Amino acid sequence: MTLVLDMLTTAAILYGVAAGLLIVFGVMKIINFAHGAFLTVGGYAALLVTHLGWNPWWSLPVAFAIGAVCGAVVERLVMKPLYKRPLDAILATWGLAIVIGQCITLVFDRGVQFVQSPLTGAVDFLGTSYSSYRLLVIPLSLAVIALLGWMMNGSRLGLVTRAVIMNEDLARALGIHTGLVRLATFSLGAGLAGLAGALITPLSSVDPNMGVPWLVNAFMIVMVSGVSLVSLGIACLVLGSAQVLVSTWANPILGGLTIVVLAAVILRVRPEGFARG
Amino acid sequence: MAELTSNAPTAASGSRSRRLALPAGLALAGLALMLVAPEVLPTYLVNTLIRAFLYAAVAITVDILWGFTGILTFGQSAFFGFGAYAAALVFTHAGFGPGLALIAFGIAIVGAILLALLVGWFAFHPGASPLYGSVITLVLPIVVSQLLYSGGNFTGSSSGLSGFESFDLSLEAWFRIAGVFLIATTAGAWLFLRSDAGRILEAIRDNEQRCEYLGINVSRVKILLMMACGAIASCAGFLFACVQMVVAPEYAGFAFGTELLMWVALGGRGTLIGPLIGTLLLDTSTSYLSGSLPFLWKLLSGLAFVVVIVALPQGLLPALASVVRRAWRRDAPASAAPAAEVELQSADPRPLVGLASAGRLALSVEDVHKRFGSLQVLRGIDFAVRPNELLSLIGPNGAGKTTLMRCIADGAERSSGTVRLNDHDIRRSSPAACVALGAGRKFQNANVFDSLTVAQSMRVARTRLERPSLWRRDHALALPTAALEVMRATGLDRQLHVASRDLSHGMKQALELAMVLALEPSVLLLDEPTAGLTKAERTLIGRILLDLTHSHTLCVLLVEHDLDFVQEISTRIIVLHQGQIVLDGSVEEVVNSDLVREVYAGASAPGAHG
Amino acid sequence: MRTSNRLFATMLAALVALLGTQFAAAQGKPPVIIGTAVGLSGANSVVAPSVVQATQLAIDEINAAGGILGRKVVLEVADDGSGAAGAQKAYDSLLFQKKVDAVISMETSAARNAALPIVTRARKPFIYTSFYEGRSCNRNMFINAWVPEQQVASVVDYFGSKLNTKSYFLVGSDYAFGRGMLEFTRKYILAKGQKVVGEEYLPMDGSDWTAIVSKLKASGADALISSTAGGAPNVTLTKQLRAAGVTIPFGNLAVDEGTAKSMGSDGKDVYTAGSYYTSIDTPRNKEFLAAMGKRFGAEMKTPNDLSVPQYEAVWAYKLAADKAGSLDTDKVLTALGEVSFNGPRGAIKMDKQHHAALNMYLGQVQADGSVKILETFEGVDPGAQCPNLK
Repeated sequence: MTLVLDMLTTAAILYGVAAGLLIVFGVMKIINFAHGAFLTVGGYAALLVTHLGWNPWWSLPVAFAIGAVCGAVVERLVMKPLYKRPLDAILATWGLAIVIGQCITLVFDRGVQFVQSPLTGAVDFLGTSYSSYRLLVIPLSLAVIALLGWMMNGSRLGLVTRAVIMNEDLARALGIHTGLVRLATFSLGAGLAGLAGALITPLSSVDPNMGVPWLVNAFMIVMVSGVSLVSLGIACLVLGSAQVLVSTWANPILGGLTIVVLAAVILRVRPEGFARG
Repeated sequence: MAELTSNAPTAASGSRSRRLALPAGLALAGLALMLVAPEVLPTYLVNTLIRAFLYAAVAITVDILWGFTGILTFGQSAFFGFGAYAAALVFTHAGFGPGLALIAFGIAIVGAILLALLVGWFAFHPGASPLYGSVITLVLPIVVSQLLYSGGNFTGSSSGLSGFESFDLSLEAWFRIAGVFLIATTAGAWLFLRSDAGRILEAIRDNEQRCEYLGINVSRVKILLMMACGAIASCAGFLFACVQMVVAPEYAGFAFGTELLMWVALGGRGTLIGPLIGTLLLDTSTSYLSGSLPFLWKLLSGLAFVVVIVALPQGLLPALASVVRRAWRRDAPASAAPAAEVELQSADPRPLVGLASAGRLALSVEDVHKRFGSLQVLRGIDFAVRPNELLSLIGPNGAGKTTLMRCIADGAERSSGTVRLNDHDIRRSSPAACVALGAGRKFQNANVFDSLTVAQSMRVARTRLERPSLWRRDHALALPTAALEVMRATGLDRQLHVASRDLSHGMKQALELAMVLALEPSVLLLDEPTAGLTKAERTLIGRILLDLTHSHTLCVLLVEHDLDFVQEISTRIIVLHQGQIVLDGSVEEVVNSDLVREVYAGASAPGAHG
Repeated sequence: MRTSNRLFATMLAALVALLGTQFAAAQGKPPVIIGTAVGLSGANSVVAPSVVQATQLAIDEINAAGGILGRKVVLEVADDGSGAAGAQKAYDSLLFQKKVDAVISMETSAARNAALPIVTRARKPFIYTSFYEGRSCNRNMFINAWVPEQQVASVVDYFGSKLNTKSYFLVGSDYAFGRGMLEFTRKYILAKGQKVVGEEYLPMDGSDWTAIVSKLKASGADALISSTAGGAPNVTLTKQLRAAGVTIPFGNLAVDEGTAKSMGSDGKDVYTAGSYYTSIDTPRNKEFLAAMGKRFGAEMKTPNDLSVPQYEAVWAYKLAADKAGSLDTDKVLTALGEVSFNGPRGAIKMDKQHHAALNMYLGQVQADGSVKILETFEGVDPGAQCPNLK
C-alpha cells in the first residue's frame, strides 16, 4: 500500500512540476529551460515566508505570484526573438536559468537551506501511516488540474489560448492579441513552476541548483505528452510509477534515471508519445 | 565534351599553397609556444591551461557537430567522462603499467565509438526530428553520470575515483602533451572541415532534406561524425584523468555539457578558432575569478550567453572581430572569403549496368494509394513511363500531384501500391535509397544550399557517385554532360564561386536542376520547374528538358501549371483530379479534351472513375 | 637651481629612502597563509559558516598572541562544492594561486580524496579536521577528528543493551564516507550477534529518500543507523522519516549539533556520538564558547563536531611551527605528530599514525537542537589507521 501511495504522490508531484512547462510548450511551441529556475524561485519564496515568520501556507500563493512576475519580465525582455527558433530557445532559456540562479545566490547565498512544512507528521491512511504532507500533494495537484482545465475550457482566456495553439496566424487575423496571450501563458507557466517549487521544498531543501533534476524530468515528460493536459496526467502516472518501482526494487539512483530513459525509448518507438492519434 | 575552366592552373596551385601557409604557420607557432610556455608561465596558470586545452579539444568537437553540422548536442561531456573513467577504473582496480595504460586507452576509444553508435542510432534514426536528436544528446550525459553514481564502490559514486597511479610526468610535460593534442585536433578538424567532405556537413546543416534527395545517407553521416567526435572527446577525458588523477561524475554530466555549448556559442559557432579561443579564455578566467567574484562572474557569463543566443548568433568573438575589422579598414568592403579555384570537367558517362539496364520501363506506378488519416489523397494511380518520354502531370491545385511525386521519390510515403524504378521495387526505401535506384527529384521551391557556392553545391551533389576527399580540396570537378549543359546554358558556369543564397531565383532553379542531373538519374522528377521564371528562362529550361529526353537516356516526369509550356515540350500528359487519373494520353488528346476543360474550370468531378 | 638647494634636495631624498627601507623592513616578513577548503555550496554548506568562524577565531587569537614565528596569519577560504570536482579547483587555487603555507580543511571524503594528490604534489602540510571513515593515509596529512573505531561502538552498544534492538537498517550517502562507515557498522553489529536487515544508499546530493523510507518501514527493523554526508542530507532524511511516521530508535553517525538545530523539532530523540558537544562541562570549553560569543555575537553559529576540530587544528599548526622553528614542510610534519594542544575537546595529540586519541560522547538530540550527553568515553584509541606511517 505504501508503494501505491508512493506512486500516486510521485505522479502528483511530477504533474505539478510539469504542468507549467506543458502550457508554455503547447501555446508557444518552445521549451522553456528556465522552468527549473522558476521552480527554484518558488522554493526560495517559501524560504522567504519562513524567514518572515508567516504561516507556511502562504508560501504557495506567494510563490505563484513571484514566479508569475518573473515569468512576465522574462517574456517581455527575452523571449520574443526566440519563438521561431526552438532549439535556440532551449539554449537561451538555459542561460536565463543560470542568470536567475546567480541572482538568487546573490540574495540568499549559495548554501542549502530548509523551510518549514505547512503540515507535519504522518496520518493513518488506508492501513499504513504515510506522510500527511505528501498525501496532501495529491488533492493539490488535482485542484491545479481542475483549475487549468476550467480555465482552458470554460473561460474566455482559455478559448483564446486554444485558438492561438491551433492556428496563431488565423487568431491574430481575427483580432486576438496574441502578444498578450503569450505573456499570460508564459507568466502562468512560470507561476505554476513557482507553485510547484514551494510545494516540494518542505519535503527536502532549497539550494540554488534544486531545479535542474526536476527540469530534466519535467522536460522528458512533456516531450512524451504532446500538448494535452490529460496525456500529461497519464504520462506522469506511468513514468512516475515506473520511477518508484525501480527505486524500490533496484536502487534509487537508477530510479532517478527511469523517467528519462523510458521517455527516450517511448519517443523512439512512438514519436507522438502518449498523445492521442 | 568541352572543358570549362575558370582560372589557369598555375595561379590556382600558387594561391592554394598561399592559403595553406597561414594555418600551417599558426600551427608551428603554437607548437613552438608549447615548448617554451611551461617554463615561463606560473604553475597555477600552467595547471589551469592543461585543463583548458583538453576542454578546448572537446569544444572543437561540439563546434563540428553543432556549428558546422547543425546538431545541437549536450552530450560531448558524456564521452569526455567516459574516457576519464575508463582510465580511472582500470588504474584503480587493475593497477598501472604500460600494458594496462594501453588497454585503458583502447577501452576509452573503442567504448566511446560504440556508445556514439548507440546514441546515434537513437538520435539520428530516419524520421527523427532535430529536437528529438537534441533530446537524446541531453539524455546521454544524464544517463552516464547517473550510472556512475549508481556504481557504488566500483565507480566511487559521489566520491569519484582518486589516488590511482598514473604516468609519472612533470606538469610541464603534461602541458606539452595537452597542447600538442589540442593543436593536432584543431589541425585535423580544420583540414577536414575545409575539405570537400566538410562541405557535406554544411549542406546537412543548411538543408537536410536536399541532402537526402541527393542520395546522401544523412543518418549515417551524422552517426559517423558522432563516433569520431566521441572518440576525440574520450581521448581528451583519458588524458584529463591521467594528469589530474581524480575523476568525478560531474565531468560526465549535463552541466558540463551545457558549459561546452556556452563556450562554443560565445566563441563563435562554426568558426573552429572561435570556440578554441573562447574556451581557453573563459575557462582560464573562471579559474581565476571564481574565487573572488564567484557569483558575479557566472552571472555575467550567463547573461552574455543569453545575449549571444538571442541577438548575436554568430558569437561574441566574431562580433568583436567584425567591429574591429570595420574600424580598421573603413574603406575596404567586406569581401567573401576567396574560394578555391575550380575547374569543371566532364565525367565519363557511367555505363548503365545493374539498375538502369534491368528494365525497359523507367518508372512504373501500380495501384498507389495515399491516405492522411481518413482523407484519401491518391486513389488507384496506375501508369508507366519509358525512357526518353517526357511526361507532364497536370491538374488543379489539390489534385495530388506533389504527393504523387513524393510517393515516387520516397518509399515510405505511399499507403499502398507498388512503385518500380527501373523495374526495381522501391518498397519502403528512404529517399537516399531511391536516388540509388535512379530517382532524382527537383523540388517546387528552389531547394538549394544557401551557404555553399555553386561549385561546392555541385560537388556535394556528386557525393554519391564520387566520394569527396576527407582532407583535400579537389580543384577538378567532373560532372555529367547533362549537368554541364544546363550550367553552360544558364550561365552558372560563370558563377561558380557565388554563394547560392546570392543567386537570382531563376539561377537557383537552374542550380537545383543541375544538382539533380549530377546524380545521373534515370527518372527525373521535376515539380513546377518554371515557377517564378521569366519567359526567356522558361524557354531555356524547356529546350534543356527536351534536349535531355532526346539525347540522354532518362525519362522526365514533370508537374506543371503552365499549360503552354506543357504543350510545347511533353510527349505525354496525365491529368490528375482529386487524387485520380482522369486522362492519360498524348498532347493532342489531352488538349482537345472536354474533360480537362471541365476539370480546370471547376465543374463537378466525374463520378465513379477508378 | 642653486647648488646648495640641489644638495639639500638630494640629502633629503636619501634620508627618505633610508627611512623608507627601514620602514619596509619593519613591516617585514610576509604573512603566513592558511588555506581552508570547505563546502560553501552543496551538502556541507549547512555547517560551513560555523567552520569558517571557528577557523577565524583561532587565527585571531594567534595573531593577538604574536602570530606564527612573529608573522601575521591570514586565512584564505575556498569553496570545494562539497565534492571532488569542486575540491580540485579549490586546492589548485589555494596551493598554486594563493600559495598557502598549509591547508587545514573540514570537508567531505570525496573532496579530501580529490585534494590529496594535489597536496602531495604541492608538498604542504594538510590537517584534515572532519570525522571520516578511516584509513586515509598520506605523508602530508594529519587528522584530529574521529574514525569509526572511536564512535560506532558506543551507539550500537547503547542500542543493543539499553534499547534492546536486535535488527538494524542502515542508510547512507553513496561515497567513501557513507560506504566506509556502514561497512564498519555492519561488521560490528554482526560481531555482536545482531542482524542487519537492509542497507541503502543515495548519492551525496540526493534529497528524495521516499523509496528508502518505504523500504525501511517494510523491513520491520528495530533500529535505524544512518551515515550520510554532513549537513543537508541529514536534515532531509530526518524530515522525511518523521513525516512518514518513523519512530524507531534512530542513530545518526554523522550529525553535528549545528545541523541538528536545522532539523527543528524533527531532530528530537535522534541518538548520536561525537567528540564535541557544546554541553561538555570543562573550563576550557566554557572559555572557548565565551570567546566565540564575544567574537561573533549574534552571528555566531553553534560550534560543533565539525567546526571545533578546525579551531584546534589551526592552533596545533602554530604549535608545530613554533616547535619546528620554521614553516619547512618536513619539519612541521614531524612536529605535528609531537605537539599537544589543549582545546575545547581536551588535550589532543595527533600521534597515533597521524590520527589522535579522543574523548568521545554518546548523546541524544533535544527539542531545541542541542545534544544531551548520555555517556562519556575518555581517550578512545583510533586503532591502526595507517600502519605504514610512523
